[in-house]
Amino acid sequence: MADQPTAFERFTQGILPENPVYRQLLGLCPVLAVTNSVQGAMTMAGAVLFVLLCANVIISLIRDLLKPHLRIVIFTLTIATFVTIVDRFLAAYMYQMSKNLGPYIPLIIVNCIIICRCEVCASKQSVFTAASDAVGQSLGFALALASIASVREILGTGMFFGFRVLPEMWPDWVIMVLPPGAFLTFGLLLGAVNWVAARKKG
Amino acid sequence: MTTTTQETPGSGKNRWTNFFIVQAWLVLLLASFFGAALAGIQLTLAPKIEANKLNETLEKVPELILGADAARASKDSGQQMEINRQYMTAGTKTYSVFKAEKDNQTAGWVVKASGQGYADKIELLVGVDETVNTITGLFVLDQKETPGLGNKIMEPDWRRQFVSKPTHLLLTAVKTKADGPGEISAITGATISSKAVCDIVNQSLNNLRQPLAKAASDKKKPSEKQQEKN
Amino acid sequence: MNYLIDIMLIAVSAALINNFVLYYFVGICPFIGVSRQIDMAVGMGLAVTFVISIAAFLSWTMTTMVLIPAAPLTAWIGGFFMSPEAAAKIDLTILSYIVYIFAISASVQFVEMYVRRFFPALYKSFGVFLPLITTNCAILFACLTIMSNVSGVDNPADAWDLGRSLTLAFFGGIGFTIAIVIMAGIREELDFCDIPPALRGAAITLIVAGILSMAFMGFTGVDTGLKNALKSDSAAQIDPKPIPKDESPLTSVIIGETDKKEWS
Repeated sequence: MADQPTAFERFTQGILPENPVYRQLLGLCPVLAVTNSVQGAMTMAGAVLFVLLCANVIISLIRDLLKPHLRIVIFTLTIATFVTIVDRFLAAYMYQMSKNLGPYIPLIIVNCIIICRCEVCASKQSVFTAASDAVGQSLGFALALASIASVREILGTGMFFGFRVLPEMWPDWVIMVLPPGAFLTFGLLLGAVNWVAARKKG
Repeated sequence: MTTTTQETPGSGKNRWTNFFIVQAWLVLLLASFFGAALAGIQLTLAPKIEANKLNETLEKVPELILGADAARASKDSGQQMEINRQYMTAGTKTYSVFKAEKDNQTAGWVVKASGQGYADKIELLVGVDETVNTITGLFVLDQKETPGLGNKIMEPDWRRQFVSKPTHLLLTAVKTKADGPGEISAITGATISSKAVCDIVNQSLNNLRQPLAKAASDKKKPSEKQQEKN
Repeated sequence: MNYLIDIMLIAVSAALINNFVLYYFVGICPFIGVSRQIDMAVGMGLAVTFVISIAAFLSWTMTTMVLIPAAPLTAWIGGFFMSPEAAAKIDLTILSYIVYIFAISASVQFVEMYVRRFFPALYKSFGVFLPLITTNCAILFACLTIMSNVSGVDNPADAWDLGRSLTLAFFGGIGFTIAIVIMAGIREELDFCDIPPALRGAAITLIVAGILSMAFMGFTGVDTGLKNALKSDSAAQIDPKPIPKDESPLTSVIIGETDKKEWS
């Protein structure tokens, strides 16, 4: 266990070097689906933070009791429970947002980021490390969502966070808030990230 | 299960308990713990979620019947409006109908109607007056039309065209300036969405006009008689 | 007839207009991962279609029989412990996500065992994809759509039956297959193209998917046209005359007043 990353390393790795969206290509379904407005994207990131943090902490607490063949069952059970909780909270306190996000909140259950972090980090390391890993990964996820959502919202509606940033005469690029815009924006941003990473290395 | 009993019975049973209770105790413990947590969540939040769902429609009812300004004025003056929901079957469809009563008199009806739009289902609230003769308001509850084109059906300016249209006329979306009695000017570039809204309104009102008028007059008669006596 | 039209509209909408991958973005992971060769893509698509139908059947049955308030099975079991009225009010929908995800895992396991035992040839062609499918969002998405159309409807008469649910799931799977096979075909050609190094791999796949998604937007409105072609009675039968004031036969049945609220 000597070469396991420390809590701080886990935290910083999640944000950029091992960004779950741009570097690991995990959890792409919400990345594409909820990024037509920054507000929706941030709510999604908050929900993922809550679920990932709770799941990581619980799994890390019981990591010595886990049996290899029942591991996935326990992960799924924990994640599904916390997703249900966050879904109900949104429906109770942010009804309109929960209606907008629709099925994508429950789809966090099958979001590979969470089960992957439970497997890679939480089932092997201490509670504190697991928690900082969860926060780091969620911040990385939030950063990725925010970058895509900003591009799509600004170009598609001329607004940012609901406030107008581009002049009224801006012809809204409607395609950006429609499904194709999600694919195009994410594809181009991914290319840009790859390009920067390659330049740094070389 | 049958395979374990076919082997030596004693050890088979041991393996059975071994397998389930010893190995899965953690799963069972977690499941009961999570179950309790979810039950708690359900008890505290379910009434609130239900209220949210209902309020979404109920909040719109006064505005749809009285008009936005009058509804605000009546809210400010603290007047009460009692809203009842009922289901009405007409033709092949069942509609949710909200009946608004003010000072024990029917103030109007709001019908929840839905139909196929351009992209997906459009869900509307249509307000009509108590005698079901004119439309008093229209609100779009849910739609997935093209942003920037079809979703302009949500804009108040466009929806206002429907106000005070007679219910017995077929509404048609026209591309030119609307000047006929049953004409609505379509949104530029979104004729199909505009038409879809008109069709949903037409169909629901055509189905419900008679039953609603009947229900209104049934309810009215006893009170009218009382007034005559007085 | 109306029912058949309904089924057809759901099928067209699920497979083409609101394609699971290109419109709802579910099942993106295998879409990017497995879509390198056409035969693999076909295998994956078939496996998903197969599992999604079984999961839809399970989730519809669970939802209507157990989870929603006044579900027959729950009410029957609850009847042993409490009064029938109280038992009819038991609402287990909060458990739905947990139930669905385990129903999906179970159906994947079951399908894998069954196919390996009885169709070894079939197992060879798509068996390797089966374990991957558990975490495929498309399956859970189909279950959730069915749930929202069964328990989320405002009006009990509008709730989907098993036929509609299975249609959505099966044609959703077909839509997934169509998208992933087209993508695989394009990617086989892309291998011979000179793509800038930064865009190689997932990035170019996503950009191509964006163009595909634009192409699929062309299907929007097909269902409206289809519906109008199939039934032309909706608008034509509307009676343009004002209602006679008296003696209109009441065609409606008021089912019941369910909710009252004081608005202030």
